[in-house]
Amino acid sequence: MKVIPLYIGAGITGFESPATEYKELNLSLDQLMIANPSATFIGKCQGNSMIKKGIFSGDYLIVDRARPVKDGDVIVANLNGEFVCKIFDKVNARLLSAADGYDPVAITEYDEFQIEGVVPFSVRLLDESFSPLCLP
Amino acid sequence: MFALTDAFGCFASMEKVFDPSIRKRPVVVLSNNDGCIVAICPIAKRLGIPKFQPYFKVKWLLQKHSVVVRSSNYELYGQLSDQMMSVISRFSDNTYQYSIDESFSEFKNYEGIISDWGDYGREIRRTVWRETRLPVGVGLGSTLTLAKVASHAAKKLPDSNGVAVIEDEHYREHVLRQMALDDIWGIGSKLAQKLSLQGLKTAWDLSCQSPKKIRREFSVLVERTVNELNGMQCLSWDDVKSPKKEIFSTRSLGQRITSCDDLRKALSNHAVAVCNKAREQGSLIKTLYMFASSSPHDERYFKKGITYEFPLATDDVFKVSAAVSESLGVLYAPGVPYYRCGVGALKLESCAFKQPDLFIPNGDPALMECYSKINSRFGKGAIQVGSEGKREAWAMRREFLSPRYTTKWSDVPIISCK
Repeated sequence: MKVIPLYIGAGITGFESPATEYKELNLSLDQLMIANPSATFIGKCQGNSMIKKGIFSGDYLIVDRARPVKDGDVIVANLNGEFVCKIFDKVNARLLSAADGYDPVAITEYDEFQIEGVVPFSVRLLDESFSPLCLP
Repeated sequence: MFALTDAFGCFASMEKVFDPSIRKRPVVVLSNNDGCIVAICPIAKRLGIPKFQPYFKVKWLLQKHSVVVRSSNYELYGQLSDQMMSVISRFSDNTYQYSIDESFSEFKNYEGIISDWGDYGREIRRTVWRETRLPVGVGLGSTLTLAKVASHAAKKLPDSNGVAVIEDEHYREHVLRQMALDDIWGIGSKLAQKLSLQGLKTAWDLSCQSPKKIRREFSVLVERTVNELNGMQCLSWDDVKSPKKEIFSTRSLGQRITSCDDLRKALSNHAVAVCNKAREQGSLIKTLYMFASSSPHDERYFKKGITYEFPLATDDVFKVSAAVSESLGVLYAPGVPYYRCGVGALKLESCAFKQPDLFIPNGDPALMECYSKINSRFGKGAIQVGSEGKREAWAMRREFLSPRYTTKWSDVPIISCK
């Protein structure tokens, strides 16, 4: 009698992860901060007139042009050829700061003034030594 | 109904988006290597600054009006163009980007929903301005050609305010009568000359011709144009978006090069650019043309060109850059100060009808796909073929380049909180 050896293969080793069916997309910061991708840009704050709103010099600002502007919103505007970040006082046509020692700026007909967008988020770097590799 | 939405003074207007200090000033943008003026903003246009003039010739005029001069910032324009297109695409369920600053939209069965096309056009214009800060014109018409005509009217006619709708006969005639022949989509300057020999002067004259007669004397293409001008739809989506039949990448060099190695790098760069464009539109390259030359103003003008036939059409960057290396012996001569070089795909085949060959290995499609994906995710040039070399001096001269506001963290616009 001849014996032909046959190998028995065990196809599955171990359990299939029970989590595979529950996999979802990772959280992304874009998803959190950018509601209107085609109408949003990022700028960098310079100066400390908005510190009571938690915006400090060097922070990144998310600017959304699509969002309707309400009285009291933190906005970015083009004021006489310069981007500024202020609180919009619609009723009195003024731009307010959020720090001591800064007077309100009245918008007159002689000013070049356009609202650029609303600032729904700002981003602050807390650890100066932090430098992500992907930052080009 | 069709719409054509396009940006006013596209690149020049894009320069103003993140630089509010120049919004109220005249701006022009120069071509590659700062050669010619390629874009002028509406303010510069009103000052009578001419387009397509060599920069050195009109420098005095620009200085006289203190015009802001910028080099082409493609990183910025690409990004802003994407944003603009994405806003436009919200207004229709069928849009097609025709160029970096033009987009067609089709409105099929919108008649019951939209009562006033002029209002709808103004809404598109307003929204694009609000969300991207780009000024656009909107032209609406019942055929693609009439949409193009209307967009021309939106730009040129003073009472249009950036939106024109060709709906009634009266207005159609009014607009066509003011339009020169070579401003019509698909009518080049040579054809316009021929037509004017027959006594035609304006677009209106052409639209009054008998289509059959035009077909006999010119071509079926011009016949289609005549019909389209009369509101009879002949061009469909696919006619407009048919893939390019030739792809070229060529440019004068920022600095003269004399070494064989530098020429290889410059040519490789062009070859890879051509190859990437071919792959994007689903084409394979069958015949490649390469050339290198000194300047025609040099004492002894040197120019060599060579065509390279691939045994099997390909979109593999390694095969294409290998073709460059193989041809270099013909193109390079020691001592020549090269001023210009370029690569073109002369014969393209569709990827869909690829005919494999039993005896020729197929390259590595998986590798190519991986290569494309890495570059689209991490930015152009994230990985490249070794022979392309690093970006070097012979690359582009861009003396008046604005910051890359949207693609580099160190360049984002400054917002003052003072």
